[in-house]
Amino acid sequence: LFPGVRQAQWLTKTKRVEGLPPAVQGIMDNPAHGLQELEERVKHAVSHARLWDTAEVAPRREQYCPVLFENLIHICRLMSGKYPSLSKRMLARNCRIAATWERESILLQVRGLSGILMNSVTPIPPVASKEEILATKEHVLETFYPIAPTIDLQEVNVYKELNDTGQCFADGYPYSHPHTLFFLESANVRTDRFRPEQLRAKMLMFAFGNALAKAKVLHGNDPKVLEQPVVVQSVGTDGQLFQFMVFQLNTTDLVSNDGVKNLVWIDSDQNLYEKAQCVPEVKKRVVTKPAGISGFQPDTFKKFLALYLHGTV
Amino acid sequence: MAALGARRLLRPGRRWFSETVPVAPSPPASPPYPPVVASITAKSKAAKSRRLQRFKQRVHAAATVEEKLRLYGKLQRPKYTVYPQTFALNADRWYRSFTKTVLVPGMPPRAAAAKPPVAAAGTTPEAGSAPEPGAEAPGAAEAPEAAKTPEPTAGAAPYLDMGELRSLACDALLQESFYQNKKRPFLYRDQDHTPGPFLTQLVSTLAAFLSRRNPLLAASSLDLNPEVNYYWHHGEEVVAHGHRKGRVDPVRFQIDDNPHLQIRVPKQLPEVVPLESDLGDVPVIDHKPSKLPLFKKQYENKVFIGSKVADPCCYGHTQFHLLPDKLKRERFIRACLEDQIEVVYRSNGIASLFAWTAAQAMYQGFWSEADVTRPFVSQAVVTDGKYFAFFCYQLNTLALTAETIKNNPRKNICWGTDSKPLYDVVEDGNVKGFNDEVLLQLVRFLLNRPKEL
Repeated sequence: LFPGVRQAQWLTKTKRVEGLPPAVQGIMDNPAHGLQELEERVKHAVSHARLWDTAEVAPRREQYCPVLFENLIHICRLMSGKYPSLSKRMLARNCRIAATWERESILLQVRGLSGILMNSVTPIPPVASKEEILATKEHVLETFYPIAPTIDLQEVNVYKELNDTGQCFADGYPYSHPHTLFFLESANVRTDRFRPEQLRAKMLMFAFGNALAKAKVLHGNDPKVLEQPVVVQSVGTDGQLFQFMVFQLNTTDLVSNDGVKNLVWIDSDQNLYEKAQCVPEVKKRVVTKPAGISGFQPDTFKKFLALYLHGTV
Repeated sequence: MAALGARRLLRPGRRWFSETVPVAPSPPASPPYPPVVASITAKSKAAKSRRLQRFKQRVHAAATVEEKLRLYGKLQRPKYTVYPQTFALNADRWYRSFTKTVLVPGMPPRAAAAKPPVAAAGTTPEAGSAPEPGAEAPGAAEAPEAAKTPEPTAGAAPYLDMGELRSLACDALLQESFYQNKKRPFLYRDQDHTPGPFLTQLVSTLAAFLSRRNPLLAASSLDLNPEVNYYWHHGEEVVAHGHRKGRVDPVRFQIDDNPHLQIRVPKQLPEVVPLESDLGDVPVIDHKPSKLPLFKKQYENKVFIGSKVADPCCYGHTQFHLLPDKLKRERFIRACLEDQIEVVYRSNGIASLFAWTAAQAMYQGFWSEADVTRPFVSQAVVTDGKYFAFFCYQLNTLALTAETIKNNPRKNICWGTDSKPLYDVVEDGNVKGFNDEVLLQLVRFLLNRPKEL
């Protein structure tokens, strides 16, 4: 549905805040992390993914999107030279997530392959203060009367209410806290990819699903307001545009429409670079556009890295 | 009067030379005729050699490396495709003869400074192969809290925390094989189910962990499933059939390799032995390559290290290869071919590393007529998920064509180990029988760096 995030907000009882939370902003602005020197490396990473990775002239999106993601994660992981506790993270690919909840007497379920999940040993500390959480009580969720909020959702007969990311991992897994979810829209054909709005909605639903499953494991199945909110981050990209999201689950009481709401901070449509020219464009024997990456924005990578470092720094 | 006098001079029959004394030799007159050389288009051996000279001059004079590579591989003819991962019997002897490689068992002797001391309390590193298992707990069934607190790295002899590394490796292994619930593996795709992701996790976490110790790793580039190609000529044969029947042609080979993982770095690894060293013999095989079996095909002649020439990380550090299901140990044992198990590892190591180092050398502008002036060194780890074999390759020469190999005393060298298991079995969330030496060798590989760093 076109206003995808608004629908997802209603379904997950969430209040939206624009921009990234102050904790993440603080990591970005902290010069001690040496984000300036990484600019050169990030440019190389982008050039490698978009220009140099293949023996053909230009790699296709199915190839360059995952390669770009791997390169960026490699740069982030190398930061564990500075922060040894970063090595307590583990990437899990092809994770299946399943979470169920009730929303005003409609039973909803999130299921499916949730992209790439990064787990950590320690949870992310809550991003919003207690006052902000209580302030969400006054917030009214917007509805789309007369459209029912469950439009465009698939109705299935569910015989087993599956409820855990614990389904994805056996008990005793040391890296038990979901940290960040990564979504790569790498289909070659544009119609197979999600539009940015739908991608954000998908990110929100899966982040919510993971957080809910974790909360039920930690605090039990009864719906209540959580003492320790669960925070899960989410990054989605199609190889050029990045969407960043931080989701904080404050309550598992989702049946009613009032009370404490969950919070999500969304930073949308961040371009990492404007254009990647594989072959120089020549008009009338004059090079108009040289080969290379143009319009590089270092801030987008800073946000990526800040989300990666969040929780251990 | 003057004319009568001149005629009297002339009459005695003297030749009329110029009276002026030749003061200086006249400037060398430009030859009145162009030099006599063989024709370009004739059907003769001289014409063929002249055409070859012109081709070599064109490649030598190419402005950029891309142009050189394009000219080098321009002519397409049927060539043998060499597969690094092959079931052919005794393939490593054949591959060594194709690439003029000497196989030296065991690992190359490392300089004392390059070996990281393990857990000794701040002592100077021991030289040579002095045993360092003093503090390293053998038989790693012990729990990983071997109580080694890492020293501040800014100090002089920072030592490795084996417990930490062991726990990282075990966590990666357990996650992939035990904790994460995956669907059943696809038929004959067991390697993609568990060992593949395990290798990726292990290498990426170890590389990130060791980047503090090795600044080269901190500037490295990690490729997942890259492509490595190399094309070369070696030896001569007579064309058997077709419109070119009877002509003498070089034997062409092409390697198209897909390692599971590779690390590329911006600076070259140091040489292990000097360029002209001779550590053994290259096997000589009298048969045609098609007897191996090796088959001919004609397609694009690619030379590629994993990324294009413009990439700053143009030197190779380590490759990781995963053996497919077709070459499992159990299959060889069932077919009563136990001795061929090691051959598989060795042929994979030699072929892949030769292709990679030779392609790196071509990216720097060397080729068979312009031989390398410094040795190119790279490393590889070949594994099937449980058994690991380590290889180190030094490329000393690219001149393998029939004419350049005649006066070329240099040989390429490959050091290789046998395959050893990393662990015995994974049961109930525990890794039993973890082998520290294999992990230590892997860590040593990752920590390899030029001496200046």
